[in-house]
Amino acid sequence: MAQRAVWLISHEPGTPLCGTVRFSRRYPTVEKRARVFNGTSYVPIPEDGPFLKALLFELRLLDDNKDFVESRDSCSHINKTSVYGLVIGGGELWPVVAFLKNNMIYACVPLVEQTLSPHPPLISISGISQSFELLFGIQDFLFLGQKNDTELNTKLNQLPDLFLQACPFGTLLDANLQNSLDSINFASVPHPQKQPAWRVGTYKGKPQVSISITEKVKSMQYDKQDIADTWQVVGAVTCKCDLEGNMPNVTISLSLPTNGSPLQDILVHPCVTSLDSAILTSSSIDTMDDSAFSGPYKFPFTPPLESFNLCYYTSQVPVPPILGFYQMKEEEIQVKITVNLKLHESVKNNFEFCEAHIPFYNRGPITHVECKVSFGQLEVFREKSLLVWIIGQKFPKSMEISLSGTVTFGAKSQEKQPFDEICIGGTAYLKLHFRILDYTLTGCYADQHSVQVFASGKPKISTHRKLISSDYYIWNSKAPAPVTYGSLLL
Amino acid sequence: MGPPSRETWAQRLGAFRASPSAFMAGPEGEDLGRDLLIELRSEKLSEQTKVSLLALSLEYPAQLWPDAAAAEAAATSLLDTLVLLPPRPSALRRPLLLAATTVLAAGDALGPTSGASRRLLPLLLGLASGRDLGRGFGPASEQRPLQATACECLRELESCKPGLLGDCLGLLRRLLGQEGPVQPLSLLLALALRNALVIRAKAKAGLQGLLVAGDAPTPGGPWNWALAEEGGAHPQPQAPSWPAAEDEECGLAVLEPSPEEARELRAAVAQLLDSSYLLTPVAQAQLLWLLGWALRGLRGQPPVLFKPQLVRLLGTAQLALLHAVLALKAAFGEALFTAQDEALLLRRLTLAAQHPALPLPAHLFYLHCLLSFPENCPLGPAGEEAAPLLLGPRLGRSLLPSLLHDPMALLARLHLLCLLCAEDEEEEKGQGWSPQRYLGELLAGLRQRADLDGGPRALAALCFQASYLVVRCLATQPLVLTPLTHGLAELYRARPALAPHFVDLLDRVGPELGEPLRAVLRQEVVSRAGRDEALRWHLKILAKVADGNAPSATLGFLRAAAAHCTDWGLQQALLRVCRTLMRAGVREGLADLLQALARQLDDPDGRDHARLYYILLAHLAGPKLGVALGPSLAAPALTSSLVAENQGFAAVLMVQEAPAPIRLSVGPRRAAGPGPVLQLQVEVLEPVFSLELRFRVQGQLYAPLDAVHVPCLRPGRPCSPLLLPLQPRLPAPTQLSVRALYATPAGLTCHAHLPPVPVNFEDLFLPFPQAPDDGDKQGFFEELWDSCLPKGAESRLWCPLGPQGLEALVSRHLEPFVVVAQPPTSYHVAIRLPPDSRLLLRLEAAQAGGVPVALRTDHWAVLPLAGDYLRGLSATG
Repeated sequence: MAQRAVWLISHEPGTPLCGTVRFSRRYPTVEKRARVFNGTSYVPIPEDGPFLKALLFELRLLDDNKDFVESRDSCSHINKTSVYGLVIGGGELWPVVAFLKNNMIYACVPLVEQTLSPHPPLISISGISQSFELLFGIQDFLFLGQKNDTELNTKLNQLPDLFLQACPFGTLLDANLQNSLDSINFASVPHPQKQPAWRVGTYKGKPQVSISITEKVKSMQYDKQDIADTWQVVGAVTCKCDLEGNMPNVTISLSLPTNGSPLQDILVHPCVTSLDSAILTSSSIDTMDDSAFSGPYKFPFTPPLESFNLCYYTSQVPVPPILGFYQMKEEEIQVKITVNLKLHESVKNNFEFCEAHIPFYNRGPITHVECKVSFGQLEVFREKSLLVWIIGQKFPKSMEISLSGTVTFGAKSQEKQPFDEICIGGTAYLKLHFRILDYTLTGCYADQHSVQVFASGKPKISTHRKLISSDYYIWNSKAPAPVTYGSLLL
Repeated sequence: MGPPSRETWAQRLGAFRASPSAFMAGPEGEDLGRDLLIELRSEKLSEQTKVSLLALSLEYPAQLWPDAAAAEAAATSLLDTLVLLPPRPSALRRPLLLAATTVLAAGDALGPTSGASRRLLPLLLGLASGRDLGRGFGPASEQRPLQATACECLRELESCKPGLLGDCLGLLRRLLGQEGPVQPLSLLLALALRNALVIRAKAKAGLQGLLVAGDAPTPGGPWNWALAEEGGAHPQPQAPSWPAAEDEECGLAVLEPSPEEARELRAAVAQLLDSSYLLTPVAQAQLLWLLGWALRGLRGQPPVLFKPQLVRLLGTAQLALLHAVLALKAAFGEALFTAQDEALLLRRLTLAAQHPALPLPAHLFYLHCLLSFPENCPLGPAGEEAAPLLLGPRLGRSLLPSLLHDPMALLARLHLLCLLCAEDEEEEKGQGWSPQRYLGELLAGLRQRADLDGGPRALAALCFQASYLVVRCLATQPLVLTPLTHGLAELYRARPALAPHFVDLLDRVGPELGEPLRAVLRQEVVSRAGRDEALRWHLKILAKVADGNAPSATLGFLRAAAAHCTDWGLQQALLRVCRTLMRAGVREGLADLLQALARQLDDPDGRDHARLYYILLAHLAGPKLGVALGPSLAAPALTSSLVAENQGFAAVLMVQEAPAPIRLSVGPRRAAGPGPVLQLQVEVLEPVFSLELRFRVQGQLYAPLDAVHVPCLRPGRPCSPLLLPLQPRLPAPTQLSVRALYATPAGLTCHAHLPPVPVNFEDLFLPFPQAPDDGDKQGFFEELWDSCLPKGAESRLWCPLGPQGLEALVSRHLEPFVVVAQPPTSYHVAIRLPPDSRLLLRLEAAQAGGVPVALRTDHWAVLPLAGDYLRGLSATG
């Protein structure tokens, strides 16, 4: 369950090493156990330099990855998880859990309490999930709410102290590093009996509970006979409970209006104490019975001090909020485009913003644009080969808008023009970006009166809702488009 | 030199961290450990700097204090520093405790004989139990964090030396029940409990009241090392991997707790589980792994204890918790999870594997968990990835890949798709979108991406990895393989630069894809004009796929290409194809091409090479050619390829010195014919072909001898004797030195020196052919006898006889040469000695012990040889 070593590496393409080790921590007592458990298959933890080189090579993050290299590019070198074997000093260091996010590579090596040859299945190694939790924890600590590089550096400098707290001997005590930081600060406060380890300290002040529901809507629209359009709502409920007492109890109920779409695939925060079995089984993949559970969805919990995601859910609403088509035809150096968008009448026609982005990939630079929009305005970003149709706050009364015209391209030069591995030939998309405040597509809401709080004082309860587009694609219906298996099962 | 300041320390630590090994090898390395311990007590350094020094000792104790004695001394010094801290709040107490623990545990110093251990353990236990340790341990406000830290230190020591806290289980339970910090105590108790159970089970001993043990070691009292010693020096796996854990289960079954002990154990576990909600998710997961494997197979401990936690855990999105549930599933199977529970767990796992709110690495891990799911009733072979039975087509289809997925997710989902295709091979044919058809479309999409000009290498690699995965899973499905083969051929047509990927794929797939793919690629290449930009790639492919099929098309392509092979690299690539053809046994047309190349190529190396190949082709038989052109150890295309290949050729074409697998012996004499002939017997230890034996006479006594040839010899199969005619220049014995040249079954030509073969005096003996059949034999002999003198020499000697007497001696040794015989007493013997000498013997009036012999010869030098011979006869029997 323990970690042998942890690294944090910033990816810096273009520099000689392509990266810098920003933080590393080794655990010699765990290493000692690794030597015993792994026996002849033991490979020691390397120094930072060789590790950096081997990891960047394996992750294809070195600059010189143009040529075929068998140890990396061979067809039998198949990686299906974020767990790698690094060849270092003649031996294979395995399992190295690593991933890249925000230009930062998070890596660690968990202890495996047996021989490593042959590799035991990952599922049977307890340290693997602990590794992921640790790395996700570091990532959250560094990037949640982080605004600039200075702040990042401050946080990086706090890591050695935080590791003394959260992972002193390689066995992770708390993946929430912010919590550990707070516990350093709260160290002098006497802890009462039976306080959760994840609720460090106590809150003093006016009691208040804030609940916000954010729904993201994804869609893939094809406008084709044989391919079904798909769309999905993904919701997240975020809470911040400022309540006095050691273990205040809160129950939040999410409700749906009568015509609301049932919540499915519900994942809850570990602080939730119990779950209705209907919540556990409501699934978008394979509903166990036909009568979908439509709430109310009750979540009893003891809140941590910080803001947290009480639950995530998905939902299948009957229609996508905006339905459209995109037709693009190539005619030598120019393309002819037609776009039509229609807002569904049930959707609140009051956007914070609404834009359609129409990118052109794998082509020369845009030289000329001749387009007409029925509503809103069109902006051209030549250097990005991008058209942005700014629709604004409201759709017109007809709820339907359109764009048509031609875009002319110059000769294709190898560099600078946007490259995309999907948009080859006529395959193209437009992507919608919009946000509607105080609205959810499912209709889901947290009723202030249904929030139960068992703590001293009557808390002020505030609720917020919003709908955001995310991966909302409308594909060119005049060319092939990438499909999922789901959209083929008409 | 004054004490190092904060800056110098910062510099020193920076240099150390950059490369610990380099630093320790440098001049400052030796003193670092010592300086660090001294500086911790310096009043000039800030606490922050001291914490960073301690951080170093936490990470690199083995480098700073490399042996047990040094570690012991360092730990003692750290403990002294801790005791000497003033009673005000300090940031050093925690790291000092951690450092002392690390140094002892990592430095192999922990044990009953270590003074530092004897100090540290009671101190930690005192802190962990919240005992008042008096002044020196800081203000009351620091006690709580120190208590937690002490628990962590004890847990680490228990991890490294299982059984260390075997005596403290009762105490820990009490502390947990009172007001101790829940998480550190829970984890410590769970680990100590698990280790105690395992050690006792291994010792085949009962629990012996372990769980209710009264008091822990009294302060200052001796520490009980008994259980730790029982456990041996080795750490115990805390959460053994599943297959390994199977054995351990039987181990725990030997523990037969009394009903009361079982109740206590159950109470302890329930106590831990009930408060597990208060632990952080990662700590909850650790607790579940520890307890799950601790109770597995233990009598009287129903796994149902875990049940109340499961619903709560199944609802979370937390990776560690879901993983821990899977571990419980693996540990208890049906005893904890009914078929319905199993189905629910699979649904949650399927859901988590694609939930948009979770990050990609979590998706990938869950996908792995699905394919390695610990089923209640597994059908397939253990350890192989498979889709669980209860996953069902609906759940499975939700996890199918699409081109929009990240490469790793795509491969993981593709694997699942292949498993689904393999399952319903027979079903769904003809329906709209069968998984097979979807798979085909997906692969086509991947090929299209790999075809992107200037696209990253990763896209090409992904396409070939996907193809490989499909072939591995679906090698028996022509419906999948045929379009894949043609798709790949098309991809090659569009982007020959992917040739290295094709070669790699051909190297790794079986004949199901390999053979058709070779054929279409060969067709693809040879149907082109030879002057393509991509010529080097075509030649690379052809070197891999060319074979005996349709050689004329291949040769035609090569002839056309030769004109465009203007640089050394291309010429070598071209010649590599020729080489492949030679190995494949193509001869017709190839010789012409090689001859043309030997004249036509610009580069001298290329010309030499072509000529060499031509010579090989013209002179070596098929099998030998195959061996000669076999894979060479030398990396090709370095400097001159002739040099590179030489290693291969040298082995095959040059003669190798070797220890002989051949034994040569002289057979019975054959006294007949015009000259002496040696009969040689040959035996071999391994098959030998084309054996040539070469003989050389020492001292030019004989005319040079011809070599003897044997086509084939096999061990255990005798061959007819070899006849070696001798042509002595003098009638004298000699030795023949022998060398053997032969070919091994591997095609190598070897050379060996054999032990010399002696040619004895008697080996030269020949009878006189002109002796008359009857009549005047005596006269013939007398005539010879008289003719020896006066030119020759005469002698008399005593030839001793063995028990058999004269008759036996003559019949054994001299029979062919006897001219006049009056058995058993008198024999006249005439021997011809080549080239033109004679030896005459009169053996008359034999007595019991010997026979007097009169001998005459026309060559005086023969006399001593004859004497020696006769005297030696009786000895040889």
